[in-house]
Amino acid sequence: MENNAFRDRILEDNEHEEIPDSFVCCVCLDLLYKPIVLSCGHICCFWCVYNSMNCLRESQCPVCRNQYYHFPTVCQLLHFLLLKIYTAAYKRRENQTLEEEKQSGFYSPQFDPDTCESQAKFGHSGIPSSSSNLNLTSNSCNVGTSECLEQSGSAANEGDDGTIYYDGESDIIGTPAKGKKMPQEELSVQRKLSVADVTCTMCKQLLFHPVVLNCGHVYCQTCVINIDDEMLRCKVCQSPHPRGLPKVCLELDHFLEEQFPEEYGQRRDAIELKQIKVKPDTPSSCSLDNGKRVENIDWWSDPDPKVHIGVGCDFCGMFPIIGDRYRCIDCKEKMGFDLCGDCYASRSKLPGRFNQQHTSEHKFKLVPPNIIHNMMLRLATAQLGEGSIDLESIANIEVTSDGAALFDDGEDNHNDSEATN
Amino acid sequence: MMISGGGGGGGKSSWSSSTSSWVPTTSVSASGKRIQREMVELNNDPPPDCSAGPKGDNLYHWIATIIGTPETPYQGGIFFLDIKFPIDYPFKPPEVVFKTRIYHCNVDPDGRVSMGILKDDWSPALTITKVLLEVRSIMTNPDPYNAVVPGIAHLYSGDRAKHDDIAAEWTVRFAK
Repeated sequence: MENNAFRDRILEDNEHEEIPDSFVCCVCLDLLYKPIVLSCGHICCFWCVYNSMNCLRESQCPVCRNQYYHFPTVCQLLHFLLLKIYTAAYKRRENQTLEEEKQSGFYSPQFDPDTCESQAKFGHSGIPSSSSNLNLTSNSCNVGTSECLEQSGSAANEGDDGTIYYDGESDIIGTPAKGKKMPQEELSVQRKLSVADVTCTMCKQLLFHPVVLNCGHVYCQTCVINIDDEMLRCKVCQSPHPRGLPKVCLELDHFLEEQFPEEYGQRRDAIELKQIKVKPDTPSSCSLDNGKRVENIDWWSDPDPKVHIGVGCDFCGMFPIIGDRYRCIDCKEKMGFDLCGDCYASRSKLPGRFNQQHTSEHKFKLVPPNIIHNMMLRLATAQLGEGSIDLESIANIEVTSDGAALFDDGEDNHNDSEATN
Repeated sequence: MMISGGGGGGGKSSWSSSTSSWVPTTSVSASGKRIQREMVELNNDPPPDCSAGPKGDNLYHWIATIIGTPETPYQGGIFFLDIKFPIDYPFKPPEVVFKTRIYHCNVDPDGRVSMGILKDDWSPALTITKVLLEVRSIMTNPDPYNAVVPGIAHLYSGDRAKHDDIAAEWTVRFAK
């Protein structure tokens, strides 16, 4: 898509806005909302990626069909960037999405309003704590609401006419200075970008050839190459990035080159001087319970895989989970909350990819893979050799209400551990 | 998180618990908006020799026309196609059916078009514009190796002149 090409987008209120093709989602053909950057560098909305995923095997990028095995996290830098540039259109998208989320009962991740101004203001993890995410009905920073102000630490007074007045400088996008009324028109004014809005998580300079890790944090390509870990891990949240180096997000790169030509040129010159050599891709893997490291793709050919088809890890996004699966027994959301063995061991404090209100006090249960599910899938995909199916054992399997298989031999073969903290 | 099949290929598994599965969240309004946007795009920038639009008030049922490409046996013919969008479009491909009879190895006797992008190779990033261009492309260059009518494919590979004569005859008979 040509970065300069502008396309008319029809809005529900018949209002016309110009949105460059680079920020139009290739799936919904609308302004990107809660953008996810796949490892190939292409960008889609959160729900567009979610609905594009294949529950039976590896998923593919809608644009280039590049395979991926982990559902990435929303790129907060892009999220707030779009909110800043296309405030009115982004708010419209937020309202539309919120309506759909209320209908489905599934919610996309919510972000702390403190992070609205720039990535530099992100907390240690760059991801809001679950305590700041209690309002499921709100998808992101509700500009101009009193709850939003309370969270960001700014004082707000309500006038007799119900208008909110601001007593202090606020970090929220679109809020005016001291004691002024905040008219609706000001919310839709495009705020000018600064370099601080688009800085690398590591070098704190303008992003150059930006790459987005699975956790949603953005780095310069050269900064990622210089990370000397055995497995690529985000320096902010310590999340492992699966399957080698991500590709440059070209849409964001072109945007930065257009917006900040001078700074971008300086960054290019500085990096060319260094002439950093690129490391070869080192594909990461996920663990099976026997300690062997196997890539996701191998589970199809493994004669005895421990695969949880249709279940993803809420921390690293591995999908399907291979190896141990731990389900939170205290999370009541429709989506549930699951962790793979590795993430359970690291005891993630993240609130969940679907805004689940998970806390560190919640208890987990070890869940076995669904035997029937896997067997039927193998039959369907011709992975089982002739004569390798024990029909008697299939006849003795019943399926419980939670989808797990029990052997009808008088004892529970779940291998469920006791609920653990 | 439980993934019970986005549009990418897996349907909801009958073994999964209803309370702990990812289910596709494509709403009718979301797919409708996407179809409306495609309609606007088609009107603003229609592909060559193709047109398409909703049949009456039903946004999920379109009629398309393709004009036979010059220097092919289909030249001069006007071919009508029925396009039906699934509720979870664009995560599932549309169904494309020729309403005008056509002599083509990739179109079955009922008019159903057999193309990779309408089956396993479908991607949510594809649009009706791209689908129509692909249909137009197979009219110019049939794919005898993935034929749904083996007899026509055999003739196309073995006696191209005879194949073209029959195709041209059908075009005059049904598409003009």
